Amino acid sequence: MTTILQAKHVGKTFGLKGNQYTALQDINLEIQEGEFVGIMGPSGAGKSTLLNIFSTIDTPSAGEITIAGQNIVTMNEEQLSDFRRNKLGFIFQDYNLLDTLTVKENILLPLALSKVPAAEIERRVNEIADTFGIREILNKYPYHISGGQKQRTAASRAIVANPSLILADEPTGALDSKSATSLLQSLSKLNELHHSTIMMVTHDAYAASYCKRVIFIKDGQLYQELHKENPLRKVFFEQILEVLAALGGEHDDVV
Amino acid sequence: MMTLFSIARKNIRKNFTHYFLYFASMIFSIVIYFTFVSLKYDHTIQSASEASTKISSAFSAAAVVLIIFVAIFIWYSNSFFTRKRKKEVGLYSLLGVRKKQIGRMLFYENFLMGALALLIGIALGSVLARFFVSLLMKIMGYDAVSNFSISPAAILNTAIVFMIITLITSLQGYRLIYRFKLIELFHADQQGEQEPKASWITALLSLVLIGTGYWLALQNLLQSSVWAKLGYMLTPLVILVTVIIGTYFLFSTLTVTLLRLSRRNKKRYWNGMNIIGISQLLYRIKGNARTLTIIAVLSATTLTAVGTAYSFYYSNASNALQANPNSMMFISGDNSTTKRVDEMISSSPDHKLLYHTTVPVIEVDADVSGLGDLFAGDMQTYTVISNRDFNELAKLQGSEDTIELKGNEAAALDPVYYEGISPKYVGAEVQLEQNKLRENITFTELKKYSVLNPATVYSSIVVSDELFSQLERQTQSIQLEAYGITNQDKAKQLTAGIEAILPDSASLSSYYRDYARGMESTGLLIFMGGFLGLVFLTATGSIIYFKQLTEANSDKARYQILNKIGVHKREVRKTIAQQVMFIFALPLIAGITHCAIALSALSKLLHMNIVIPVVICMGVYTCIYLVYYVITVNAYYKIVTKNK
Repeated sequence: MTTILQAKHVGKTFGLKGNQYTALQDINLEIQEGEFVGIMGPSGAGKSTLLNIFSTIDTPSAGEITIAGQNIVTMNEEQLSDFRRNKLGFIFQDYNLLDTLTVKENILLPLALSKVPAAEIERRVNEIADTFGIREILNKYPYHISGGQKQRTAASRAIVANPSLILADEPTGALDSKSATSLLQSLSKLNELHHSTIMMVTHDAYAASYCKRVIFIKDGQLYQELHKENPLRKVFFEQILEVLAALGGEHDDVV
Repeated sequence: MMTLFSIARKNIRKNFTHYFLYFASMIFSIVIYFTFVSLKYDHTIQSASEASTKISSAFSAAAVVLIIFVAIFIWYSNSFFTRKRKKEVGLYSLLGVRKKQIGRMLFYENFLMGALALLIGIALGSVLARFFVSLLMKIMGYDAVSNFSISPAAILNTAIVFMIITLITSLQGYRLIYRFKLIELFHADQQGEQEPKASWITALLSLVLIGTGYWLALQNLLQSSVWAKLGYMLTPLVILVTVIIGTYFLFSTLTVTLLRLSRRNKKRYWNGMNIIGISQLLYRIKGNARTLTIIAVLSATTLTAVGTAYSFYYSNASNALQANPNSMMFISGDNSTTKRVDEMISSSPDHKLLYHTTVPVIEVDADVSGLGDLFAGDMQTYTVISNRDFNELAKLQGSEDTIELKGNEAAALDPVYYEGISPKYVGAEVQLEQNKLRENITFTELKKYSVLNPATVYSSIVVSDELFSQLERQTQSIQLEAYGITNQDKAKQLTAGIEAILPDSASLSSYYRDYARGMESTGLLIFMGGFLGLVFLTATGSIIYFKQLTEANSDKARYQILNKIGVHKREVRKTIAQQVMFIFALPLIAGITHCAIALSALSKLLHMNIVIPVVICMGVYTCIYLVYYVITVNAYYKIVTKNK
């Protein structure tokens, strides 16, 4: 099994000297191919900062990060753009779909940007639309479909170019429970059948229980790690809730 | 009261960059208007020109055009500016500030800016006016020294006009809070954009409409049955309306249809950033159709006006030459006067004599009923010149054209020949009547120029040498003195001197007098054309600029998404450049085409070859327009790539 992501001693501080705020401190993390990893922690723990750094949208103040064998810390802006396009797939809480494009066009966008031939694009889009069950809405525009459909569209776009790593930022945050379950099942299926590597940031224990491994962060540092040993999702869910309770404080997050 | 006033003042100071565009366009309008009005009241121009009443009425008319235009422009910038502030206004309202107070605050704010802009505008305008006065003097061919002084009348005029405009826009600001519901103020930018619908029928209709307009414009006015049927007043209106409506349909449907067609070609559409560029344009184009039409029409108007003015200015020299093939020509009185003229020319340091010749001509009455001339009666007086003298004079004037006439053959010289109106001459027969002599002559040739200055003589014809001597026996010939000199366009003093010693009966005609008169009127024309053209161009450029920046702000989120999924900044710049190019190029192309049709109709009508001045005008216009394009692309790019 190959290592997809390796982070060593990653740190991030904001602000100028004298008024510094440490968001992340000495984070060491490895994600293997085919893993479905959840990142949890109370608000302000540094989850989003970590995700932004892995997404190459933000840069770390210290440490080294290797994704799919490439050191992303030393890349320049052009290389980072290429890297994001070819190696990463994103799912955001607020979907980030382009409202000028149809569902189909939104999904195929990464392929079009990489200049994949039209016939190949057609084949891939249809295949993924079937996986996520959005074939009937392919020709609709984002403002004509529901939140759940939007998020499945966004997920389709994230994986259409076969990225090495899929990064999901609170993907169920804006969804009702039925849509959320449907999306999580789709992601699980993707992970099981296609061995896609997924890293998902969430504060929702239910969403996290679909992962194979959950990493907890507190005050910018790794706090604990949970592996799903029991195949029953419900058992894993209980375990996650226990850790969250131990993390304490932020009861609002443990819904 | 006082607190509201100070909040307004604080608002302006803190958000100055935000206000800057609006403020700048107000100052710009005031500077332009003030400069123009100053020229109107300036004494230097009025005293230098013989036609001062003409100048002042021309300026007054242009000032009215300018007021209308400036008012529209300020209104446009104001609504752009207010749109940007809807959210802020909504926030005040949400925080519980009373509507009346907000309205008053907006009123003060706008009024304060207006007053400030007026001060700055007049100050800047005073400097610019000085420059423009000397420019105008130079273009009109005067060398009087300009001692320009700012006239209080100009300041008063400008202040009143802009106070009224500011008052109106301020009231508009006051009304903003009453016009909209709170929810609308908050969602000013978020109105959903719908994919436009367009049918092939309206797309075709746009082409048919424009085609009809063009076809009508290019008809020969005098022979067209359509013009005759519709009437000469109505037809230009029909042309205007069909072309404008056609342009609107063209922008709103044909472009949509074409873009959709290009979307159907998946190989090209699903290739890189094309998918982004085409889909964005498709969404925008319909909402933009009105602006694009306005810009196309404005561009066409500006180009046509400036092109016409410049064409006249450009062809002034050739017109003067056509009217004066000889630098000077007069009817010989006595030898001593002619001698004095000779001396004046030879003693003048700035001019060399190229030729001086005395041409004998005969004035003959003729029965011209055979010509079928629509505008002349049956009888007409001709100035007759012999074949030999014509050839000689033509050679002196640098022409290689010669005529060979025998017996009763004649050649007509018509420098103002107009196809369709002038008689056909060749083949026609007229009867010369001198005392008892009746001689029928037949025109075998037509020259569309003359070798005699038409202002000194009657309509001229050339007859064979035999016939000329036959006529000479019947009556005394008249001696014409013809001169050619160098630097004839600068012969101000010489011409004035000669004018002073010759009696009116000599009917002196000179190149310089016609040239100077032409410079004066066409110079004024080109100055005003250029001035108004520049204003229009600046305004058109600014309108697109504002419009594009509004779009950039609402596109920001889209480009941030694209950045996240790995689109290069290079690609972003490229697609922006392409999209903005589309918006800029469409109205420019339409405007240039409309203008080309209008001017070719004009050139047909006036019998002038104006290709060169028109191409120069279009070139300059396109260049300035390109500068706007580059600025807009840069600003757009900066907005969408800037991080929060």
